[in-house]
Amino acid sequence: MHDISDLELRGVPGMFVASAEFVQAAISQSASLGFSAVARVFTPHPIQDRTDDEMVAYADAAFDEILAAITDP
Amino acid sequence: MVVVKQECETCRMVVDVLAQLAEATALTVYTQDDPAFPPTVTPIHDHDLAVSWHHDIETVPTVIRVADGVEVDRTVGWVRDQWERVTGVGALGPDLPPFRPGCGSMSVDPDRVDALNVAFGGSVFSSRRIDVAAAEDDIEMMFTRGWTDGLPVVPPTEERVMRMLTGTTRAPADVVATVPPDLFDITVEKVAIAAVMAGCLPEYLPWVLTAVEAACTDEFNAHGLLATTMPVGPVIVCSGPGTRAIGMNSGGNALGQGNRANATIGRALQLVIRNFGGGRPGEVDRATHGGPGKFTFCFAENDVESPYGTLAGEHGIAAGTDALTLFAGEGPRCVVDQLSRTPDSLARSLAACLQAMHHPKLVLGFDAILVMGPEHARVFDGMARDEIVAAIGAHLVRRGAELIRGADGIAEGIPEGFADVPEVPKFRPGGLMLTYAGGGAGLFSEIIGGWANGAIGSAPVTRAVAY
Amino acid sequence: MTASGTVILDPTSEQHRAERELRARPRSIDGLTIGLLDISKPRGDVFLDRIEQRLVEHGAKVNRYKKPTFTKPAPVDLRHKIATECHVVIEALAD
Repeated sequence: MHDISDLELRGVPGMFVASAEFVQAAISQSASLGFSAVARVFTPHPIQDRTDDEMVAYADAAFDEILAAITDP
Repeated sequence: MVVVKQECETCRMVVDVLAQLAEATALTVYTQDDPAFPPTVTPIHDHDLAVSWHHDIETVPTVIRVADGVEVDRTVGWVRDQWERVTGVGALGPDLPPFRPGCGSMSVDPDRVDALNVAFGGSVFSSRRIDVAAAEDDIEMMFTRGWTDGLPVVPPTEERVMRMLTGTTRAPADVVATVPPDLFDITVEKVAIAAVMAGCLPEYLPWVLTAVEAACTDEFNAHGLLATTMPVGPVIVCSGPGTRAIGMNSGGNALGQGNRANATIGRALQLVIRNFGGGRPGEVDRATHGGPGKFTFCFAENDVESPYGTLAGEHGIAAGTDALTLFAGEGPRCVVDQLSRTPDSLARSLAACLQAMHHPKLVLGFDAILVMGPEHARVFDGMARDEIVAAIGAHLVRRGAELIRGADGIAEGIPEGFADVPEVPKFRPGGLMLTYAGGGAGLFSEIIGGWANGAIGSAPVTRAVAY
Repeated sequence: MTASGTVILDPTSEQHRAERELRARPRSIDGLTIGLLDISKPRGDVFLDRIEQRLVEHGAKVNRYKKPTFTKPAPVDLRHKIATECHVVIEALAD
């Protein structure tokens, strides 16, 4: 999320996607960066042993949230 | 109750007296430093100095008689008579000398006082407190939040702001002015925050407060000044013995860098406009080019050595009074004349350069401050202020026909209606203002060209400094 | 109070939230260039391939970028490239 924090400072709205393992770390790391509001979406965990079809399913499941995190209609 | 510290010889000397008192009456002993001291009683360790601070302990030992939870008497240091009177216990410390002075209480230690005031002083601050996050650098954070002018600012911690507020007797919650463009009321506290960020010392705060008041008047028109496309900003000219007390520079390089008071007083005003007023480049601030003066532009006129009075005096301030003038101006431009030996020659030089200010054909719509250097001022030796301005002004008159739009093949100019006016001056009456500053070497003066004057522009504002 | 312990006083007129705010988002992604930044952990590319497909279906153009390693922030040149080439950025997939 340091990259997203930096890119936001450069004027690019951004967000990151992480697995559910990352939820707590995201809260504390974003707070320690002074950027609690940093946009993020979580997928289920684990990731590394998933098949291609399973990864595609994760992506489809996350897509609406991702879109919501990068737009403000 | 008795407050002591182990480091104090007098406190160590009276440990047996404390034991005597503990046997004879209800006694509570607070120790400021060493929890094991005194060994003769069971002390309470006032580790955060809360008790000492709340009881205004300035000296140790201090003995306080408490009745029904209220202080009725106290004594400081070791004075047998006083201790016996306050405690009501006789024959104290028979082997001790009759008196011995105490030591400074830790709660009034200069290195601790600011932190204690913040911790226990109650909510003297009403500003929102913002935590610097653990992984954030406090200097970087000021940049990230957009609170700087591009240069680092001093993070306004509670201690620093507390210390800054000692520079004024005004209450932190006092309203100073309504600040454009957002038009919220700024308090002494918020000005102090800006002063900390700018790098001011507490003794500069009265000047900053006065500058904010002056800048936010309708006649100065700070909103217009901010929103213009011209490269102008607030210029602060300070005057009076107070400028010397705070170490301002009215001599060599007075309009330049290096002097803390000059640099930070001007900067504090800019930070108020930016952070509190909401005036930022690219938003309300639409300056085409801007200029370095928009970081800070503040200097002192040399009111002591000026042979022709002061800018403050011109605007009604009595001699010897601390005051400042806010002027909506651009960066200074130099007049080089190293050969004129007569007032007439120098007046013509200055006039030639002044006529060209902004544009030779644009007249009456702008004021100017002429900062004469000492070597130029000497050429006018013996002449009064109004005589010097008149001498220069005599060469700042042009025929209307030369100045109108289209004249000389130049589209710019004054309206054609002036074509038949035989004499059109460059400046309105009072529009050319003199001041005296600069180093003793150098045959130069500086022209500070103004923003638009009149109803749509800005008028200079002079205010005495309120302490 | 945070671990760092430093507290500063707000210099503004306090009309806005004290926390750092998100950069303004576009109304929609239609016609915009979206950067997908792969942090180079396994399976992330498959995830991003599908996200790319879906974004393109929504009318966006997609640029793909890859960090050399997930163990450090992206190199400054890469961040600059993304900032100059994209309207929005999505970074994935940390686990």
